[in-house]
Amino acid sequence: MSFTLREHTADVAVEAAGDSLGDVFAAVADGLTAAMCDEVADTGDRFSLSVRAESREAALFDYLDELIYERDVRGVLPADHDATVRQEGDEWVVEASARGVPFDDVTARDVKAVTYSEMRLEESDAGWDAYVVFDV
Amino acid sequence: MTTREFGDIELRRVREHVWEIPQEGEMNAPARVLASEALLEHIGQDKTLEQLRNATHLPGITNHAICMPDGHQGYGFPVGGVGATDTTDGCISPGAVGYDINCGVRMMTTNLTYEDLQGKEAELVEALFDAIPSGLGGGGVVTGDAETIDDILARGMEWAVDAGYATEDDLAHCEDEGFRDDARPEFVSQKAKDRGRNQIGSLGSGNHFLEVQRVTDVYREDVAESFGLEADQIVVLIHCGSRGLGHQTCTDYLRRIEKEHADLLDELPDKELAAAPAGSELAEEYYGAMCAAINFAWVNRQLIMHRTREVFADVFDRDWREMDMRLLYDVAHNIAKKEVHTVDGDERELYVHRKGATRAFPAGRPELPPAYAEVGQPVIIPGSMGAGSYVLRGGDSSLDLTFGSTAHGAGRLMSRTKAKQEYWGETVQEELREQQKIYVKAQSGATVAEEAPGVYKDVDEVVRVSDELGIGDKVVRTFPVCNIKG
Repeated sequence: MSFTLREHTADVAVEAAGDSLGDVFAAVADGLTAAMCDEVADTGDRFSLSVRAESREAALFDYLDELIYERDVRGVLPADHDATVRQEGDEWVVEASARGVPFDDVTARDVKAVTYSEMRLEESDAGWDAYVVFDV
Repeated sequence: MTTREFGDIELRRVREHVWEIPQEGEMNAPARVLASEALLEHIGQDKTLEQLRNATHLPGITNHAICMPDGHQGYGFPVGGVGATDTTDGCISPGAVGYDINCGVRMMTTNLTYEDLQGKEAELVEALFDAIPSGLGGGGVVTGDAETIDDILARGMEWAVDAGYATEDDLAHCEDEGFRDDARPEFVSQKAKDRGRNQIGSLGSGNHFLEVQRVTDVYREDVAESFGLEADQIVVLIHCGSRGLGHQTCTDYLRRIEKEHADLLDELPDKELAAAPAGSELAEEYYGAMCAAINFAWVNRQLIMHRTREVFADVFDRDWREMDMRLLYDVAHNIAKKEVHTVDGDERELYVHRKGATRAFPAGRPELPPAYAEVGQPVIIPGSMGAGSYVLRGGDSSLDLTFGSTAHGAGRLMSRTKAKQEYWGETVQEELREQQKIYVKAQSGATVAEEAPGVYKDVDEVVRVSDELGIGDKVVRTFPVCNIKG
C-alpha cells in the first residue's frame, strides 16, 4: 500500500496502489493527509467511520468526503488510515478508522474537497490502483 | 486564417485576443479563449482547453463557453471559465461553480498613506495574523449555534449589521448588497452547517490571504476618484470564500445529481461537470442552497474586515472611522446567478456560471449599487504576494463578449508539488521583505512556497488583455505591504 502526490496546476492529485480495495482506499486517504501536513505528530485517538454507496468510485468519493467532514467537526487531522471495502447487494460498504491528530499538534493546510475529476479506480496485476484529485 | 494547435485541439484566431474552438461532434456551442499569444501559450500547456471544450457539452449553453485570460486547469470546468445556460431548457451545474461557492475578493479603502504605515509593517502583520483566524482548525471570529448559522444563510450581511459587525454603508458597497434573497437555508445539509459553525470569519488556506497594499499607479483619474482611490493610499484586500459550508454544499449536490440525474450525467464528458436540468426540483434546491452559501461567504469576509478595522484601530491608536475604512466593493468569483442578457437581439434569463471569473458590469446595469451606477462596478483582481493587484471597472464590451465578466487573478502556472520543490517558504519570505519591503506571515512555510510569486502568471499581462478587450478597464494598480495567509 503506497501513494504519491502528483502534479496538478491548481490542486493536488494522489496516485495510490494497494493489495485490496480497502488498502487502496486507505492509501489515497494517507495521500490526503500528506497533502495537508508535512510532519504528522504521533498524538491523537483513533475514530471509526463507515459509508455506503452505489458504486466503488462513489464509495471512495464518500469515504474521502467523510474524512474531510470528520476533520472539520472533530478538529483533528485524520492520519494512519485503515479501511475495508465489501459489497452488500447493490451497495459498497466502507468500514474505516483513522487516528485523529489534534490540530494544535500539527501545522496543517486545508484541502477543501474530494473531486471526481480524472478519478481512476482500477484493478491491476498487483491489486488496485487509484488516482484522485483534491480541491485545495 | 491564423490557427494554433495544442494536442488535438485547434484554435482559430477570431481577432486580437479572441480565439475559438469551433463547434463539432457533441459540443452544444463553440468555445472561446480570451488571451494574448503569450497567455495562450500557458493556457495550452495543461488541460484547460480540454476542460473548456468539455464545458460546451452542458445543455443549453449559450453563445460560447469562455475562458478568461487567467484561465487554467481546474476540475471539470476550467478555472477562469464562464458559461451561460438557459434557465428554462438548460441546466445549472455545481461543477461549473466550484466547491468554494462565492470565493471572492473585497477591498477596503483607508485615508492612510504609505508614509503613515512605514515603520509599523512588522507590528501590523503580526497583529493581523494574531487577530484573524487562518489555516486548518484556526476557528472563526464567531462560533455559531444552529440559529445563527440559519440566520447568516438566510440574511447574509444584514445579519452582520444586526450583530454589530457591519454598517449600512458596507451593505451599499457589496455585490447584491451582501444578501441574496433566493437563499434557502433549508436546502443546505446539516453536514454543511456542522462544518461552517466554527469557521465563520476565517481565511482558510491555499491561495486565500489578507493583504495590506498601497496604490502605486492610477490609470483613470475620474474613475479612481469615484471609487475613492488615489496614489499612495493604503487599502486592504481580503480573498476567501464560504469555507467548509460551501465545499460541503457543492459535494452534497454533486452526489445528488449523480444519483438523481444519471441520464444527464452520462451525456457529459466529465463527471465533475455534474448538472441538474433547469426547472427540476434539484436545480431549484441547489440554487437556493448555493445562494445561502453565497450569503455565508459574504459574512465570512465581513467578519474578517471587521477584525481588520479593530487591528488598525489598535496599531494606529485611533478609531477605525477616523481612518475612513470603507468597503470599496466585494466581488464573487465562484458563483452562478440568474441574469438577463441580450442574445441574438432577445432578452433571455440565463444562469451565468463564473468559476474563477469576476462579474464586470459596465454602467447602466440595474444590478449595480447607486454608488457605481454611473461609472461601472469595481472589479478587484488580486495578483501574487510579490506582484501588484488591480482595481478595474466593468467594461462596455463585457456584455457582448463575456456575459459581463472578466478575469479573477493572475492564474496559476506551476503545481503546488513543484512549487515546494522550487521554493523554500522562509527564503521567499526573507527575499520579499529585504528586496521589496513586503512583510509576509503564514501558518506554514509550505503555504508560502506554494504561493510564491513565481508560481503565477504575469498579472500585468492578464489585465492588459482585459483592458484592451474592453471587458474590464484598468483603474489603479496596487502593491503589497503586508500579507497574511493560512
